Amino acid sequence: MTRFEATRHVVATAGDAAIIASLGHPAYDLFAAADRDANFYTWGSMGLASSVGLGLAMAQPSRRVIVLDGDGSLLMNLGSLATIGWTRPAHLVVLVWDNAQYATTGGQDSATAHGADLEAAARAMNIAASVTVRTPAELDAALARTRVERGPWVIVAKVDESLPTMKPPLDYVFIRRRFMAAMGTEAGATREPA
Amino acid sequence: MHAAWALGVGVGLHAAGSRHVVLVPDNPLAHVIRVLADRHPDVRLTIATREEEAFGIAAGLYLGGARPTVMLQSSGLGNSINALASLLVPYRIPALIVISLRGDAGEWNAAQVPMGRAVPAICDAIGVARASVESGDLAAEVVAREGEAAFRTGLPRACLLPRRVTAPPAEVS
Repeated sequence: MTRFEATRHVVATAGDAAIIASLGHPAYDLFAAADRDANFYTWGSMGLASSVGLGLAMAQPSRRVIVLDGDGSLLMNLGSLATIGWTRPAHLVVLVWDNAQYATTGGQDSATAHGADLEAAARAMNIAASVTVRTPAELDAALARTRVERGPWVIVAKVDESLPTMKPPLDYVFIRRRFMAAMGTEAGATREPA
Repeated sequence: MHAAWALGVGVGLHAAGSRHVVLVPDNPLAHVIRVLADRHPDVRLTIATREEEAFGIAAGLYLGGARPTVMLQSSGLGNSINALASLLVPYRIPALIVISLRGDAGEWNAAQVPMGRAVPAICDAIGVARASVESGDLAAEVVAREGEAAFRTGLPRACLLPRRVTAPPAEVS
């Protein structure tokens, strides 16, 4: 299962869920799979995609929030698992594309190539709904469970690297405003004084 | 009995419409935590493992329609620079930031001095406007004003709490 193939499976069943993508290849593949208004592409802040997803899930308790993270990115912010395991938003799904490498920067090994287990890390941080999937069928089954069982979820998807073919726009304010319009929250920053 | 400055921070962030505070605690901010519990129970407090993470959570809160406050010690600004510079500022995601300063007058710990001294320069370098709370009595006004400005302009803004305000000599032990 390549990451792009797996990304297409996620967006096919995402409905109106918000999708927060970590910078680099996860964001590029999300854009190529489906450029939806409810996609939030990060272009920096490596490691923070799951934190952004957590904050969004806290503010929008009735909306499904899907995070597309990478193994290297989550390793940079493992504390996020502890905070998610504490705050426990039931509708947050953190997908970790685990290709065991820093693919965006040339394929250097990540720690998951040498024994680090992100599903076990999530369990250890009180996220019981944690699974590892290796095939499209397993991914689909896990995604189906996230729609009927309470989270928070961490799905570690073992994926093969696939070279992205497209990149999202570099207009960050456009990305943010379009996303907030999809969330119904765009007016917040621009209201005139009462 | 709450300190005037801590009461002011609570009143100010509440007046700016913030109902979510994300923080990594320090000793002065512990006073604000108690104020929020006592006086503003509608404010949800979330403790992050690291200040950078707190800014990521704050960004998500804003995307979801909330007005987030992030509270941290000056040391934690060092842990937060890339979150501010590559997420909040370029995407125009505002947050009210309350920074408890170390390293200024009265400091006893040399490990706190370099980051404490660097806070204004770092804020200026990455485009985060800052205002200093010069006395406890001014805290509510400054925090409310900076928060309102942050959420209206779509940019993070920082309120700096000097040690002479948060830890006056009589209270240092």
